[in-house]
Amino acid sequence: MLPIQEVMEKLNGVMDPELDQSLVELGFIDDVKIEGPEVNVRFRLPTYWCSPNFAYLMASDIREKVSELDWVNNVTVELKDHSFSREISQGVSNQETFQEAFSKLSGGDLEQLRRTFKIKAFYSRQEKVIRHLLSKGMTEQRLVSLTVAELEEILTGDMKGAMLKDRYLLILTELGLYKDKRQPAFIDEDGKAVEIGAFRDHLLKIRRTRLSMEFNAFYCRNLLLTRYNLQDAGSDQNESLEVKGV
Amino acid sequence: MYITKDGEEIFVIDGHVHYWDASPENQLNVHGEEFINCFHDYQKNLSPKEYIWPREKFLKYDKETIVEDLFVSGYVDMAIFQPTYLTDFYKNGFNTVERDAELVREYPNRFIVNGAFDPRDGERGLENLEYQVETYGIKGVKLYTAEWRGDSKGYKLTDPMCYRYLEKCRELGIKNIHVHKGPTITPLNKDAFDVGDVDEVASVFKDLNFIVEHVGLPRLEDFCWIATQESNVYGGLAVALPFVHARPRYFAEIISELLFWLDENRIFFGSDYAIWHPKWLIEKFIEFELPEDIKQETGVDLTMDVKKKILGENIARLYDIDIEAQKEKLRNDVLIS
Repeated sequence: MLPIQEVMEKLNGVMDPELDQSLVELGFIDDVKIEGPEVNVRFRLPTYWCSPNFAYLMASDIREKVSELDWVNNVTVELKDHSFSREISQGVSNQETFQEAFSKLSGGDLEQLRRTFKIKAFYSRQEKVIRHLLSKGMTEQRLVSLTVAELEEILTGDMKGAMLKDRYLLILTELGLYKDKRQPAFIDEDGKAVEIGAFRDHLLKIRRTRLSMEFNAFYCRNLLLTRYNLQDAGSDQNESLEVKGV
Repeated sequence: MYITKDGEEIFVIDGHVHYWDASPENQLNVHGEEFINCFHDYQKNLSPKEYIWPREKFLKYDKETIVEDLFVSGYVDMAIFQPTYLTDFYKNGFNTVERDAELVREYPNRFIVNGAFDPRDGERGLENLEYQVETYGIKGVKLYTAEWRGDSKGYKLTDPMCYRYLEKCRELGIKNIHVHKGPTITPLNKDAFDVGDVDEVASVFKDLNFIVEHVGLPRLEDFCWIATQESNVYGGLAVALPFVHARPRYFAEIISELLFWLDENRIFFGSDYAIWHPKWLIEKFIEFELPEDIKQETGVDLTMDVKKKILGENIARLYDIDIEAQKEKLRNDVLIS
């Protein structure tokens, strides 16, 4: 694999925590430069005002993910056209925490924020799996009794279903909610199985979460297109990315 | 007034309009320029093509334009100004009570102006609130909790000083507290979008109405949760409504959530003019129907009666507007001389 491909693959795994979509998919990656073991990633956001704390999380995730490549020894991250471009770019490139970079301003604990949004993403992904199974005719009774192993089995050969399930199980693991394959597939953020009596309420609740995230994603994606006069309104704006690899 | 196919009159109150000045002469710094650019991107992004303004016009529009767009072509009968100062970005403020009041003076049957406060103004601000009541007769205020002020990047409704302001509102008879909880201004503080502070003050100040503008987007789910707990919490549709054109399916999901959690009496129409033009918003909204599957799942419907409530009847109650009496007053209203 070419160095640029390796970097892009890493960037594919960096998510906008608020939207639960990859920065690459969202069109947020503006430019990548590679010079030997040094990588510079420039990214952009839909508005000058986008939340600096989320921007900071994304910037530090970019740094962290790209640094995982063993040939890389320095990663600098640049956020362009933002009210806090300088603070964020310098802070992350110098490996400062958000509090250090924004010492004068109210910042707060970003890890807590990250977890809050991970949980939202977890519910949102869960909702998509549940909805998929419901549309295939599965009963609510069956849904709540389903184990992870059974979920895996049922969705074998169902491309869309398997993709939704993989995304769901990944975040289940990231949140430390995955124990073994015999555990119930659909649980809440405390690891408790969703019971049949509470199923409808649960579904409404997670629908709201998914809706909020999708709504934001739609707004962000389109504002980015408007802001930078990008043409394609579809979900793939990767072609707008100018990759200058060496 | 919107007249339906069946000849029914729908009285329209636009709960969220601006008369701003973002001209280069008024911009204080690059933030002022970026702020209006962002607003313009919103317009370009979600409006039908024929409603997109050239940048020049968007920076500053005149009285004739707003009156024409709202009341002549836009079906709106009455409109409520929600001032937005942004004094760190604009020399004379962005959309101020003073500027809005000029229009109220000229069209007293058409416009209502709300005031504004910021608890960071301290004692002086409390006096200013009295002044606003005496001078402009305000019945509501618009608050921007995420507004920049020097090193401070926002405040919370639960701050002690803010409590004093809310007590002052109560004393002065200001009963409608519009809170901007929505996108656009940098929320540096991680809580800037958080609607949790509305929850707390709404349960303490039960006699005040808290209108969460932009229905708490981008935290719709948190907003819905709070609104079910507190019966004096309302949702303004500005920013959410344009989806009726760009993404009707999303709009259906959002409005059905709101109807489910808040019920049909606590949702208000707002265009956020001049970002969006009320004409197309209202036309599309009237035409719009909930898809069958969403109706079934949520058990709610957006009937013409519900639309009538959202377009005017609901907010009329909060501002003591007698719709029938107002219709009479407006029958012979000459708008453009």
